[in-house]
Amino acid sequence: MSMLKGFAARLRAMFSPRSTEHALDEEIRFHIEQETEKNLRLGMSRDEARRQALVQFGGLTQAREAHHEVYAARPVEDFVADVRYALRTMRRTPALAGAAILTLALGIGANTAIFSAVNAVILRPLPFPNPDQLYMLWEENPEKGWHKQVSAPANMFDWKEQVAAFADVMGYSEAFGTSTLTDGGEPMIVKPALGTGNFFSVLQARAALGRTFTDAETWRTGQSVAVLSHRLWRDRFRSDPGVVGRTIQLDGSPVQVVGVMPAGFAFPNEKVDLWQPWAWNPSNRQQVFFRRAHWLNVIARVKPGVTLETANAQLQAVVKRLQGDYPATNTLMGAGMTPLHEFLVGDTRLPLLVLLSAVGLLLLIACANVGNLMLVKASGREREAAIRLALGAGRRRLVRQALTESLVTSMLGGAAGVALGWWGTRALQALQPGGMLRVSQFEFDWVVLAYVLAITTVSGLLFGIAPALWSSRRLPLDALKDGGRGGSESRRIRRWGERLVIGEVALALMLSIGAGLLVRSLLRLQHVDPGFDPNGVLAVRVSLPQGRYDTNEKIVSFSIQLEERLRGIPGVQSVGGISQLSLENAGYTSDFTISGWPAGKYGSEVGHRRVTPEYFKTMRTPVLAGRAITVDDRADAPQVVVINEAFARRYFQGEDPIGKRITFDRVPDSASVWNTVIGVVKSQHQTKLNLEPQIEVFEPLAQSPAGMFAVLRTAGDPASLGPAVRRTVAEIDPALAIESMRTMNEVRAQSLARERFLTTLLLLFASVGLALAVVGVYGVMAQMARRRVREMGIRLALGAQANDVRWLVVRNGLRLVLLGLVIGTAGALVATRTMQALLFGVAPKDPLTFVSVPLVLVLTALVATWVPATYASRADPATALRAE
Amino acid sequence: MQPPSSDVLRGTLDLLILKTLTLEPMHGWGIGQRIQQLSRGVLDANQGSLYPAFQRLEQKGWIDSEWRTTENNRRAKYYRLTGAGRRAVGTESANWRRYVEAVEFILQTT
Repeated sequence: MSMLKGFAARLRAMFSPRSTEHALDEEIRFHIEQETEKNLRLGMSRDEARRQALVQFGGLTQAREAHHEVYAARPVEDFVADVRYALRTMRRTPALAGAAILTLALGIGANTAIFSAVNAVILRPLPFPNPDQLYMLWEENPEKGWHKQVSAPANMFDWKEQVAAFADVMGYSEAFGTSTLTDGGEPMIVKPALGTGNFFSVLQARAALGRTFTDAETWRTGQSVAVLSHRLWRDRFRSDPGVVGRTIQLDGSPVQVVGVMPAGFAFPNEKVDLWQPWAWNPSNRQQVFFRRAHWLNVIARVKPGVTLETANAQLQAVVKRLQGDYPATNTLMGAGMTPLHEFLVGDTRLPLLVLLSAVGLLLLIACANVGNLMLVKASGREREAAIRLALGAGRRRLVRQALTESLVTSMLGGAAGVALGWWGTRALQALQPGGMLRVSQFEFDWVVLAYVLAITTVSGLLFGIAPALWSSRRLPLDALKDGGRGGSESRRIRRWGERLVIGEVALALMLSIGAGLLVRSLLRLQHVDPGFDPNGVLAVRVSLPQGRYDTNEKIVSFSIQLEERLRGIPGVQSVGGISQLSLENAGYTSDFTISGWPAGKYGSEVGHRRVTPEYFKTMRTPVLAGRAITVDDRADAPQVVVINEAFARRYFQGEDPIGKRITFDRVPDSASVWNTVIGVVKSQHQTKLNLEPQIEVFEPLAQSPAGMFAVLRTAGDPASLGPAVRRTVAEIDPALAIESMRTMNEVRAQSLARERFLTTLLLLFASVGLALAVVGVYGVMAQMARRRVREMGIRLALGAQANDVRWLVVRNGLRLVLLGLVIGTAGALVATRTMQALLFGVAPKDPLTFVSVPLVLVLTALVATWVPATYASRADPATALRAE
Repeated sequence: MQPPSSDVLRGTLDLLILKTLTLEPMHGWGIGQRIQQLSRGVLDANQGSLYPAFQRLEQKGWIDSEWRTTENNRRAKYYRLTGAGRRAVGTESANWRRYVEAVEFILQTT
C-alpha cells in the first residue's frame, strides 16, 4: 500500500513538477517562519531572526535540488531540459550549429549510401529458402589456368548422381545472348536464361502463376516451354493471367508459356526476361563434347545438416573417379564448391569494403572537425560552466549536459545524413556500372537504419567527449579568475587542437593516397593500347531469329548483304564484321596442335573469333605479316586463319608462322581439319584493358558462320549513323530487331566502367575529406593564433618583425601537419596493401603517389596556417596588451 | 553564530526522523526541533537536509504526509509513520545498535 503511495508520489512529481515544487516551497516557507518566530521569542530583532533562520536552514537552492534529486524521474527530466538547452544554444549560434550538422550530414550520408550497398550485396542473405544449403560448383584446371570456372554438363550429371551429400544439382547459363520475341506487336529483344528442369526446384522458388519446369524438361520433350519474369509479364502482356498456356513466338519458333515468376525473383540476374529449360537431346550424355565443353554454371543444394567439408570430400572422390574414367577430357579437371552467396559476391567485396573504409575515414574527419567546433564553443562558455560549478552543479551533471548537446547535434546531423544518404543510395543505384553490384535495388531496411543510428551515436560521443570533459574538469576559481586565458588551461586546449590537426591530416592523407592510387591506375588503363583505333567506329548487332536463319548459307548471305548495304550509307568509309567485340567478349577457347610438333605436344586455351574481310581495316588493326582475310576465303576455299601477335610470339619464336598449319584438336587424327596461317595481326585486348591479350586465331566468318557485330568506320561522329543503320536493317528484313548499337569508344568506356566508378567515388570522398581536414586545420590554427595575440603583441612590442611572428605560427602549424603526414603515410602503407587487386600498373607503394599527395596536403595546410598567422602578425601591440 | 555541533551522519538522519515520528505525526520544523531537543543540542541536523530525507522516506513507503492546520491556524505538512515505517524503526534501530557496538568494540581493542 505504502509502496504504491511512494510510487504515486514519483509519478505525480514526474508529470506535474510544478505542483510538487510549489508544495515544497510552501513547506519550506512554513519552516522558515516557525524558526523566525522562535528566534523572535529568544529576543532577536525581526531582521536578525529571519537571517538566523535562513542560515540555520542552509542553502535553499541546495535543499530544493537535493529534494528534486530524490525522484527517479530526475534523469528523464534532466535529459529533456538538456535537449531543450542544447536546442536553445544552437539557435543562438546558428552558423556554428549549421556547420556542425552539415559536416556530420556529409559523413553520415556517405556512410549510409555505401553501407546500404554493402548491406544489399554482402550482408543480406540470398532471397531463397534455406540459402545456406546452396553452393556454386566450379571446375579448375592447372594446365589451362582455370580457377572457379564453368563446368561441363556431363560432369554436372555425374556429381548430381554420385555425391550423396547433394540433395539436388542444377545447371544454368545466362550467356546465350538474346532472343527476339514476336507476338503480334513490335519485335522485342528479350534476355533468356536457360536451365535444367530442376533450376527452380533447387532454388526452392515457386511460380506466381502456372508452374515452373519439370525435371523431364531438362531433355527434349517435343514441346518448347518458357517461364516469364514478372516484369516481362507486366510490360509485354499487361499482367494478363490468361498468358499461361498461350503459345508465343520466340526467335520464330512456337514456345508455350507455362508460368510467371513472382516480382522478387531475379536469378541469375535482374536482366533476365524469361527462363527456358535446356531440352537437350538425350543422346548428348554419351557425346564427348558434353564433357569437353565447359560452359555451365552449376548450383548444388546439400541435404539439411551437411557441412561443406563433408560434401566437398564426397565431391572430390567423384572428381578423382571421373579423372580416371575419362582420360580424354578429365585428366587434369578438378572441381570445388563455394557457398553460393560468397561466390556471387565475389569480386565486388573488395571494392565495397574499400569504399566502406573510405567513408569511415571521412566520418572520422568529420567528427574531428565537429569536435573542434564543440571545443571552441565549450571554451567560449567556460565562465558559464564555472559559475554553474560554483553554484553547486555536479560535475557529472555538466558532463552529461555537454554530451547531450553533442548527441543532439549528432542526431540532427544523422537525420540530415539519412536524407543525404537516401539520395546518395539512389545515385549509386543509377550510376553503378551494369551488373557490378549484382542487385540494382537496395532500399533502407532496419539493418541500414540501425547502422546509421549506431554511427550517429558513436560520432556524437566521439566528438562530444573532449569538450564534455573539458568543461567539467575546470576549477571554478581558475575559470572565473582568468576568464579562459590562463596558462595551464590554454595549454590543455592547445594540446587537444594539436591532436586534432595531426589526426585529421593523417586521416585525410590515407584517404587521398587511396584515391591517388586508383586515379593513377585508371590513367594507366586509359593509356593501354587496345590493339585497334576505337575513334569513329560504330558497332551494331542484329539479332537473327534462329527459326528463319536456320542454315549457314542464310546467315552468311545475310552478313554479306548487311555489310554491302551498310557500306552504301553516306559517310561510311568501311564496314567489317566480327563474332565477338573486343573489350567485351573473348569467344570460346580450345586446345590446338601445330603441324611439325612432336606427337603428344599440344597447346591450350587459344581463343577463336570469326571475322569478315574488312574487319581489320575498319578497326585499323595493323597486319604485321602475311595477309588479312579476303573475300576469296570462302566456305569452299582452303581453311585459313589469321593469328594474333601474342600467339606468334609465344609459339613461333624466331620462325615465320605464315604457311604453318594448325588444328584445334589436342590429338590430331585423320578427321582433323588443318587450317593454314595466312597472316599475323596486332593483338587486340579481348575482354579488359587490364588483362594482357590472350593468344587468339581469327577464322573467316564465311568458313565458320556465326552471328556477328557489324563495325562501321566514319570520318564523322559514329553515333550519328544510328538512324540510317536502323533504316537499312529494316529494309533487308523488317522482322529483325537491333540488339545493340554503340560506338567503340562507348564499348571501351564500358570495359573501364567499374574502375572509373570506384575511382570517381573514392576521389569524391577523398576531396570531401581533404576539404574538411583543411577547414579543420584552419579552424584550429586560427583559434591558436587568436589565443596568442597577446604574446604576439608583446613580441612585436619588443621589436620582433611581422615576418618572424608569422613564421612562428606557420612553423607551429607545419610541425603538426608533418607529424600527421608521417602517421598518415605509415597508415596508408598498411592500408593500401589490401587494394593491390584493384590496381593496374601501379604498386600499392607507388612512390609518385606517396610523394605527390602529401605534397598537395602540405601546400593546402600551408594556406590554412598562413591566413591565421598573418592575422597574428598584424596584432597591434598596444591593443593586444590592453586586451585583458 | 555557533559552530554546528555535530553533523548527522547520512542514514542516521532517517532513523532519527522515524524515531521521532513514533510519538506522533509532526511537521518538518517540529521534527527538527524535537531532534535537537532530545539530543540535548548535540545533534543539530542541517535543517535543509530534512526535506530530502522526508522525500526519501516517503518513497520507501515508511512515512506519508498530509496538509493540516496547526494550532496557530497555519497550513503545514504533517508526516506520520506508516505500518512499514513502524516495522522499519525496529530493524533500523537494531542495525544501528549493532553498528555502534562494532565501532565501540574496535575503539576499545585497538
